[in-house]
Amino acid sequence: MVELLSLPPEIPSAQNMKVGASKFCPGCGHGIILKSLAYVIDELGLQERAVFGCDIGCSLLSWNYMNVDTVQTHHGRTTPVIYGVTRANPGTVGIAYMGDGGGLAIGAQHLVNASVRGENMLILLCNNTNYGMTGGQMSPTTMPGQITETTPYGRDCETTGKPAKGAEMVASIVDPGKSFVARSTVSNVRKLRATLKKALTNVANGGFSFVEVLSICPLNWRTNNKDTFGRLAKMEEFFEVKDFVVPEGLN
Amino acid sequence: MSEKQQYKGIKVEGVQKGKADWYLYTDLCKGCGLCLEKCPMNAKGEKCLSWSNEVGIYATPAVQPDPNICIGCGACALTCPDSAIRVEKK
Repeated sequence: MVELLSLPPEIPSAQNMKVGASKFCPGCGHGIILKSLAYVIDELGLQERAVFGCDIGCSLLSWNYMNVDTVQTHHGRTTPVIYGVTRANPGTVGIAYMGDGGGLAIGAQHLVNASVRGENMLILLCNNTNYGMTGGQMSPTTMPGQITETTPYGRDCETTGKPAKGAEMVASIVDPGKSFVARSTVSNVRKLRATLKKALTNVANGGFSFVEVLSICPLNWRTNNKDTFGRLAKMEEFFEVKDFVVPEGLN
Repeated sequence: MSEKQQYKGIKVEGVQKGKADWYLYTDLCKGCGLCLEKCPMNAKGEKCLSWSNEVGIYATPAVQPDPNICIGCGACALTCPDSAIRVEKK
C-alpha cells in the first residue's frame, strides 16, 4: 500500500536528489554506473574537487544527475574539455563520462592521445554495444551477430570489422607507471565500485585512469529483465572483465 | 529540502526476521525489474521479491518483498539504477 514516508531515499550527496527520477529509460545501466560513481566520490571526499563532463548520446542525460560541477560538451570532445579543465586548474579531479560512440567512434582520436600523454583525468566509458539515444544502431562495440536497427541480420564481421576493444587498446599505449586501465560490468555493482574507487584514487594522485563499463540497454536490445542479464553475461565472455594496468602502490 | 518533506512509497516492516524495514519510493521506481533478477534465491528456490499491485512513476508495476522470506541483504537496493529501494536496519 502506498503511504507517505518521512525517511528520504538513500541517495549519495554527490548525486543531485532534487531532480527525482532520472531521465534514463527503465533499466538503463547509466543509472547504476553514475550512482556507483557518486558513492565513490562521497567515499573519497572528492565532491569539491571533481568536475564532471558528459558527452552527447544517452550519457548527456546525466547533465543534472550529479551534484558536482558539470559541463556538457560536443560529441566526442569530452576528453579534451576535461583535460583542459584539469590543466588550467591543477588538483581538479576531472571525470569524462561518455558512451561507446563518444569514446571509440567520434572521440577515439582524443582517447588515444589523452592515453598516450597520460593526462590527469578519469575516462569513464559506458559500453552498451549500440547507439541508444538514436534508436539502437550499430556502434563500434556491437558484438558479432548482434541484431540492431542497422544490422537487421546480425553484425557481419566480414563487412563491418571486428568489435572495438577499448580497454585493451588503451592498456597497450599507456604509461604503466601512472595509469589505471580496467574493464568492469554493471552485473557486479560491488566490484564496479571497487574499480571506480581505484580509478579515482589514481586520478586524485595525479595519474590517468580509463574504465570501460559493460552496460545494459533493455529498450534497444528489446529484452526483458531476465534476457538483459543473459546478454550482459554473453558480453562479459566476449569483452574480458579485469584490471589491465594497475600502477604500483594502488591496491 | 525541508525536514518535513514526505515521500510517496511502500513500506514493508519486519524483513530479515524483524531486524530491518524495506522501503520503495514509487516516485523513483520505473518498473525495470532488475532488482527481481538480483534478488537471491533461497534453498527452496524462492525469491522474496515479486511484482507489486502498486505502480511506479511510469504506471508500471513496482516490486514488493515477502517479509517472511526476505533476508534484508540489500541486493535490490544496490542494483536499483534509480535508488528507489532502501533497506534500513533497525
